[in-house]
Amino acid sequence: MSTNISYGTILKNGMFGENPVFRLALSLCPAVAVTGGVKNGFLMGVAVLFVMTMVNGTVSLLRNFINPKVRIPSYMFIIATWVTVTDQVMAATQRAVYKEMGLYIVLIVAFAIVLSRAEMFASRNKLLPSLVDGFGMGLGFLLALVLLGIFREFLGKGSLWGAQILPGKPVLIMIMPAGGFFAMGLMMGWLNWIDRKFFGGTGASSGGH
Amino acid sequence: MKDMMKITLSLVMIFIGAGLIMGVTYKFTSPIKFKAEKKEKEEALKEMAPTATDPITPAGKWSVHSRNFEYYMATASGKPVAYISSTAGKGYSSFIQMLVSLDTDLKISEVKVLSMNETPGLGDQVLEKSFLDQFKGKPLSQIILIKGETKENIQAITGATISSRGVTNGIKDAVQTLVDKYGAGIKTAVQEVKHEH
Repeated sequence: MSTNISYGTILKNGMFGENPVFRLALSLCPAVAVTGGVKNGFLMGVAVLFVMTMVNGTVSLLRNFINPKVRIPSYMFIIATWVTVTDQVMAATQRAVYKEMGLYIVLIVAFAIVLSRAEMFASRNKLLPSLVDGFGMGLGFLLALVLLGIFREFLGKGSLWGAQILPGKPVLIMIMPAGGFFAMGLMMGWLNWIDRKFFGGTGASSGGH
Repeated sequence: MKDMMKITLSLVMIFIGAGLIMGVTYKFTSPIKFKAEKKEKEEALKEMAPTATDPITPAGKWSVHSRNFEYYMATASGKPVAYISSTAGKGYSSFIQMLVSLDTDLKISEVKVLSMNETPGLGDQVLEKSFLDQFKGKPLSQIILIKGETKENIQAITGATISSRGVTNGIKDAVQTLVDKYGAGIKTAVQEVKHEH
């Protein structure tokens, strides 16, 4: 990827063209695990957004210093550092939020999307485009988690962000782990259909975990 | 050989830098975190015994499910007003951590779930007021889980029997412990009354 692409394009690419969950099909584990409610999905998305931006920035700054033969361990260490920092700062300052999602934050270390953007983009680009890419990808991830959260919480619990909208639980299985896979499949299929029908795209093709 | 040195150096430098960043963050955040946790614990205990005026300090330890829990005697100007214990019960997918408080008649006055990780939509219904309020005012002998209508005992939530059982067992263990520790005086009083009749 050359560096003269505009920042707006990079941002849009992360959010739609190469949406981490629906197009790149990376980091599907957390996308299934934490989207039982809109709130959890949103909070997780925000944490990932921060970590991805910081990791991309750091990797980009150190890209000439990191030896290519040990680049993956180096990236992992940078990711682990920023996740730990996020975890500790949140535990100290955002108690209420931390109680809800403290368990999930440490999991960000293992998100394929963070490592993949460090390798694919940040290690080959200057600081600013890398920050924008991290931010855009993080935003795309956030968007996907919130979409899945809305879909699952509304159908599974009849509520949104904890506020009851429908009486009872229309499709209870949607908030169970199995429902995560159904929701993911339906959502991805629907978005692929839109892409093919209206934008002449080819839909998601790659896969990961 | 020269390459190996380069690689090692590059990795070590990154490790040192990362270690420094994490160390500094820990130094600044850990005292704040520690204080916040202590304050939250005190507030939770205070909620369990609103009439207590003295600071609530641990009176002893007990254990269940090979985990340690603390119990407390809450006092107002030296006189006991409530007995509190932390406890946990094994639910469907997690240990349900709770606080229970008894009034001076050894009947449950308050139940609070601190943390749990039960199935959303099913097991997490044990957090609902309608379920937890059933425990209020009941003595140890009435804390029995029943599947079906009951006013005397505790009615299990349909579709969340295992989580309901976890909560009930956890509370029962804690109440048993508190009764064993503090019930002696009250028990003998009851027996004496029976003797007279």
